Amino acid sequence: MLVLATSSLWFDLLFSGRIPEASAGFFEEHFGVSKEMMLKILDIALSKGGDFSEMFFEYKTTHNIQMEEEIIKETSEDISLGVGIRVISGEKTGYAYTNELSFEKMKKAALTAAAIANSAAKTPIANLEENFPGQQVYDVRKPIENVELTDKIQLVKDAYYAAQKFDSHITKVQSFLSDELQYVTIVNSEGLLISDVRPQVRLVVISLAEKNGVRNRGFHSGGGRVGMLYFEQTKTPKQIGEKASEEAIILLSAVDPPAGEQPVVLGVGQSGVMIHEAVGHPLEADGNRKGTSIMANRLGQKVATSVVTIYDDPTIPYARGSLNIDDEGTVTQKTTLIENGVLKGYLQDRLSARLMNMSLTGNGRRQGFQYMPIPRMTNTVLAQGEFDPEEVIASVKKGFYAQTYQGGQVQDTGKFVFSVNLGYLIENGKLTQPVKNATLIGTNVQILENISMVGNDMGFFLGTCGKDGQSVAVTAGTPTVKIEKMTVGGRK
Amino acid sequence: MRSQEKDLLGLAESLVEYGRKKGADQIEISINAGTNFSVEVRKGEIEQLEQADSTILSLRVIQEQKVATASSFDFTLQTLHHLIDKAIERARFSSADEYAGLPEKEEVVIDIAQLKLYDPEILILDTKTKIELAKQTEAICLADSHITNSHGAGFSSEVKTVALANSMGFSGTYKASACYLWVHIQAGKDPEKVEDGWHAFARAYKVLDSPELVAQKALERTTRLLGARKVKTQNVPVVFEPRMTGELLRFLYNCISGTAIYRRQSFLVDKLDQKIGNNLVTVIDNGLLPGAPGTKPFDDEGVPIRKTIVIEKGILKNYLFDTYSARRLKMKSTGNASGPNNFHLTAGKHTPEEITKSVDKGLLLTNMMGMGLNPVTGDISRGAFGLWIEKGEIAYPVSEITISGNLAKILQDIEMVGNDLMFDRNVTGPTIKIGEMTVGGI
Repeated sequence: MLVLATSSLWFDLLFSGRIPEASAGFFEEHFGVSKEMMLKILDIALSKGGDFSEMFFEYKTTHNIQMEEEIIKETSEDISLGVGIRVISGEKTGYAYTNELSFEKMKKAALTAAAIANSAAKTPIANLEENFPGQQVYDVRKPIENVELTDKIQLVKDAYYAAQKFDSHITKVQSFLSDELQYVTIVNSEGLLISDVRPQVRLVVISLAEKNGVRNRGFHSGGGRVGMLYFEQTKTPKQIGEKASEEAIILLSAVDPPAGEQPVVLGVGQSGVMIHEAVGHPLEADGNRKGTSIMANRLGQKVATSVVTIYDDPTIPYARGSLNIDDEGTVTQKTTLIENGVLKGYLQDRLSARLMNMSLTGNGRRQGFQYMPIPRMTNTVLAQGEFDPEEVIASVKKGFYAQTYQGGQVQDTGKFVFSVNLGYLIENGKLTQPVKNATLIGTNVQILENISMVGNDMGFFLGTCGKDGQSVAVTAGTPTVKIEKMTVGGRK
Repeated sequence: MRSQEKDLLGLAESLVEYGRKKGADQIEISINAGTNFSVEVRKGEIEQLEQADSTILSLRVIQEQKVATASSFDFTLQTLHHLIDKAIERARFSSADEYAGLPEKEEVVIDIAQLKLYDPEILILDTKTKIELAKQTEAICLADSHITNSHGAGFSSEVKTVALANSMGFSGTYKASACYLWVHIQAGKDPEKVEDGWHAFARAYKVLDSPELVAQKALERTTRLLGARKVKTQNVPVVFEPRMTGELLRFLYNCISGTAIYRRQSFLVDKLDQKIGNNLVTVIDNGLLPGAPGTKPFDDEGVPIRKTIVIEKGILKNYLFDTYSARRLKMKSTGNASGPNNFHLTAGKHTPEEITKSVDKGLLLTNMMGMGLNPVTGDISRGAFGLWIEKGEIAYPVSEITISGNLAKILQDIEMVGNDLMFDRNVTGPTIKIGEMTVGGI
């Protein structure tokens, strides 16, 4: 049997002017994949004796607009389509995928994935019953997919010109808008059938400032699982552009950092990247199941000072890392990781949860149909404390304040490195000179054991996290935080 | 021509024809079909086995100097036609860019067979053999008493077929293969745990490093990190291992790429024919080296691949361009639309041991982490791991350090270049010694 798609999605999108509901009917209607076919494939996938089979269907459209040097350089439209088939047999996983949704191709992929198992025992397939997430954490009121291209171009231009006009030393601006809409349907041998339609929007501005031969780059972005209302009500393109240029201009007068161990204050919001990298990654279940993470076997133990409470919350409305269901079809929830310094939980996917005999947390994520799900963060937050941010800074006589970052990296052993784009010297309890080229280095245990003050403010960092070659959208939130000592690297 | 290559090229050519009929001034279609295999074992058991085929089509339309692009995994002909129609229509909304356009066709004949890109053995290799390679590699590591845990070991391979056709008359296709053997391990106990690993690359299975070689390299790299100390902040000579020289060159590539130059986002703007490094610095991009990772007959725009001398004895001879950035600067594409081909610092005469011996007090840099590279200024500031050198001997490992410096200065400060250049990545270099950098510690 060979089924060819009879219609392409755009026709419906173009003519109906609305986003189709999340339902398994989507892949049947557009690509001819019926519930009966799914059942047959799930069964074939277990034909060699595996104990769990799953199909992850994905259709994703991505649109990009780029502006640079006063002109709209390019627009693009990308379509991702395919199914990933997974078979689990004990601790072993077989995976195969295809971008052709014909029965024959899916059958071939199912047999490939099936080969991981080698047992006569046959796990029966439960009948598929369609479930619904029961929550809507995306803003679907004014989807950007339905906005005319000219109006989207206007957003890009508004951000671009706001950045350019901010200061006469801004010599170059780049502005990008990316919006995607991902349809997923997940079915498995336990009878799960669930779907989700996920918007993702991001407007990014990069500004270059130049003065007396010194050049520096500022960066800012806005977006989330949002539509046009975000740019009208939450953060305007103008604000995004101005923020990027402001950073570039401040950096023109920045100095190199004083290297060495010192008190460090992590600024509100953007420092979320530290929480994500240094604290979040070691709490993902895979590294703990394998014992490679520094947090392995430490549940119930005190791993941080008592002012530290950290959670992962995919249900924050409209946030970049939010999800109604994860990529294994588990309905998402808030998960407490560290409470008052005590390690409470790990972020689980199906495989790790089963092997560790723990509950699912809804953190099984994947970049797309070509990838197996692995435990990932969504929106990871260091909970607010009791201090005014000014009090936190005032408590430091001499130290370093980190405001924005270029990125960071952490090993399973807990060792991390962050590159600070813009920082400040703290002198006698006040922020003084701006600082560039600083690197923060240490281990996550060190940070957790040295957090002494947590502010009562809150802000979020928007990011894309890479792990095992897969990128997923995340946010990380943090108040102003003081770390008693950390190593700052630089050239002095 | 093999039949898959013929089929894909036929589809690409017919879509170019379709686009022309629909009124596109210029159109480019490229198709990339891949067959991937990977197996991952951990503690002697298979954890993951993955095998898949997928095909992606990318297209670019230029209409009155206005550009629109698209890509699709959906190969329904109706979808592909619609995607072209929409790109032609969407191009109207871009601004006219006088530099936009496909490359002029170049009459260059490259003997694809000479490039040794494809090894048919990879597709017929027995799954059991591949699993066994990964298991053996890990087992050798786990047998070492210093090794306390394993992230696993794996074998993976890919075979891809590339077909590209455009309305300027270019039409080409090739097949390439690659295989990898890797292992990633931990040694010591918390909180002093260390981790590292190794991975080997080859286009042909028979020249891939053996499990013994890969395991030995991983063991050596990991166990030498045990017992790390901190050091005080100081300025000392720094020896870069080949992988680290490779990372430095990747940064250099970003600074000499035509895109960074026309955007003026590089410290090397307006430096052509100037002395930017000392006599030891010769950097070449050579995409025609047989069997190397960056080798290919043509780039993502169909421009024939060549050998370009970038820096010769310290003098900046060429930037590396794709068609667009070249036109911006009134130059010609160097065939770098897919990035670096085999971009490398040429080998010197010293053995790595001689280089270490020459350092009285300094750092042998073994790993870097984090971002901290600024092409506009050339500034480098990264987290680092390494081995402390005292009186020419490795004294002890150091961790929680940063290294910082400036690429412009580093190119002037290279004091010794090793003879250990290997083409195992598309950006690579031998061991080098830098006169002085700042090592940040406590």
